[in-house]
Amino acid sequence: MSSREAILDRIRGNQPEHRELPVAPEGGMAGADTISQFVSALEGIGGAVYIIPGPDHIASIVRGRYPEARRIIAGIPQLAALGENPATVADPHTLEDVDLAILPAHFGVAENGACWISEKQMIERALPFITQHLALVLPADAIVPDMHAAYERIAALDSVEPYGFATFIAGPSKTADIEQSLVLGAHGPASLTVFLLDERLPEAGYF
Amino acid sequence: MRPHNNHTDHAALAAIFNRDEPRVDWHDQTLWWVRRKRDVAASKVPEWEQLREAASRIKDNVLSHLSGYLAQFEEAAMRNGVKVHWAADAAEHNAIVYSILQRHRVDRMVKSKSMLTEECGLNEFLHEKGIDVVDTDLGERVVQLAGEPPSHIVLPCIHKKKEEIGEIFHEHLGTPSGNADPKFLTHAARLHLREKFLTRRVALTGINFAVAETGEFVVCTNEGNADMGAHLADVHIACMGIEKLVPERRHLGVFLRLLTRSATGQPITTYSSHFRRPRPGQEMHVVLVDNGRSVHLGRPDFRNSLKCIRCAACFNTCPVYRRSGGHSYHTAVGGPIGSILSPNFDREKNADLPFASTLCGSCSNVCPVKIDIHQQLYKWRQVIVREGYAPVVKKAAMQTMNWVLSNPGLYHAAGKTGRWFLLHVPFAVNNGLNAWYRQREMPEPPKQSFGEWYKKNKHE
Repeated sequence: MSSREAILDRIRGNQPEHRELPVAPEGGMAGADTISQFVSALEGIGGAVYIIPGPDHIASIVRGRYPEARRIIAGIPQLAALGENPATVADPHTLEDVDLAILPAHFGVAENGACWISEKQMIERALPFITQHLALVLPADAIVPDMHAAYERIAALDSVEPYGFATFIAGPSKTADIEQSLVLGAHGPASLTVFLLDERLPEAGYF
Repeated sequence: MRPHNNHTDHAALAAIFNRDEPRVDWHDQTLWWVRRKRDVAASKVPEWEQLREAASRIKDNVLSHLSGYLAQFEEAAMRNGVKVHWAADAAEHNAIVYSILQRHRVDRMVKSKSMLTEECGLNEFLHEKGIDVVDTDLGERVVQLAGEPPSHIVLPCIHKKKEEIGEIFHEHLGTPSGNADPKFLTHAARLHLREKFLTRRVALTGINFAVAETGEFVVCTNEGNADMGAHLADVHIACMGIEKLVPERRHLGVFLRLLTRSATGQPITTYSSHFRRPRPGQEMHVVLVDNGRSVHLGRPDFRNSLKCIRCAACFNTCPVYRRSGGHSYHTAVGGPIGSILSPNFDREKNADLPFASTLCGSCSNVCPVKIDIHQQLYKWRQVIVREGYAPVVKKAAMQTMNWVLSNPGLYHAAGKTGRWFLLHVPFAVNNGLNAWYRQREMPEPPKQSFGEWYKKNKHE
């Protein structure tokens, strides 16, 4: 008998009788203002947030925040002039010297500051991790209150375009393994900037 | 090299850790600080208790249909282009990983944190086969370079001071001697490990959750090391215990809300990566490992320890763990949860662990999936004594106690004798044979028992 059959046989003999699945609890954290909740959650875990009227404002902010960045990959059509805009990358190892990647994300989660980004938005799976700094761009009205709402949104997105890989990104890469001292930039990006686009904002009103 | 193999019992190993009292205090306070961060994070979620209840009941459902969910997961994963393997025990798990490496003619790989591979002794096995394994989680890399096992499942080198880590890095990575700045050392590790990520063709990761419905699996890290390894490698091997399943993807919402808040007090890990299909040209393997779990499932008193999501909240809160150190548990998963899981795998070797507890119940109170940890510790003690695995001294003491307590005449005589000894010849009790005495003064003995007092005073 194969291990597969032996394991499944033992489980069938030992698993308890049917237990019902519960109904997931409703989120109780969602305040009326999911955007400000998202901003404070993300700032609390070391991320930076800008709320701006449109993508045109990103270039100047990025130049101010990352004056040293030489190799930039921009996955947003309106920002093409900022750097490279590859549709695909043949070998992920060639991304090793990317200083900044600016990529779209589907939505953010107010309760924890996480952004959901799928494979297609990443250009290449390794990019959001291997880049020295990461910026994510999403509409300000795409903030869901909590993780239960997040998975409802994911189910809807997935039914249109199933992902092979996708991830929640919440803040910059970090570690506290040495005496619980928090250090940003463990293996992945040392900083994360999130741009929330809100068309209703007056042109000069971003912060 | 690794203390797990040179087994002595928890009390003896804790005594070694306790020789350095300031370090014990530091260890105790550091972990209590993490526990308090967990409290702050949990208190910000009004529906925290409902979440714990939901998580516990989802896992009840998983355990009651585990065979079906495993088959469903396998089918979905295979449809996604993932190769699925089944390992009955640690040896088979290690052989499967080795065979994949051999097929690709690879003799080195990167690995992100997986307590399962620690349980299976994968690193030692591959080392003997001439495979170079680099642990890429910073804490795991530290203990790997030091030649030690992790002392905590979430914070692997929590027992090490930064000066010691500075010396380890000086010796192995060439950092300047005497530099113990966490930021500097982390950056040195980043450069050292980036070279490994870029040059290894095989990456192994653990799995936090696998979804039966979709065949995808989720890996959570703060550092990004699992993703760096997996996305740069030609071959991704992901290993999981068979209990890591959830029925549907939406259930991840419940578990991801609980996991990191319970572990470190963060609202979520930096990365919660959902792997469903290999990237074009990549090979993706999932190894499903039993190693005693299917037997454990058949023990009604103990089966719900299989709900564990490895957050380590029970470690951080445990007054014994905080003061005895992770290595005193001599198993891959230590702490209170390890003490109820390990006797399942090897009753004789781990007979001491259920006794390494005060049964205060703090572990059960913080557990995000509501495992009755302290009650299981208590129940394991009875199984262990009944099956004859208790230490000889403890067994003799228990038998004497049983004899005395079941004979009222003897009980009264023994009480009188005990009080007489404490009063007149305290050294007969206060000696090396009485472990209770090592850190304590025995109380002043009363002149008479309550029974004697009552007899004398009842007519007044």
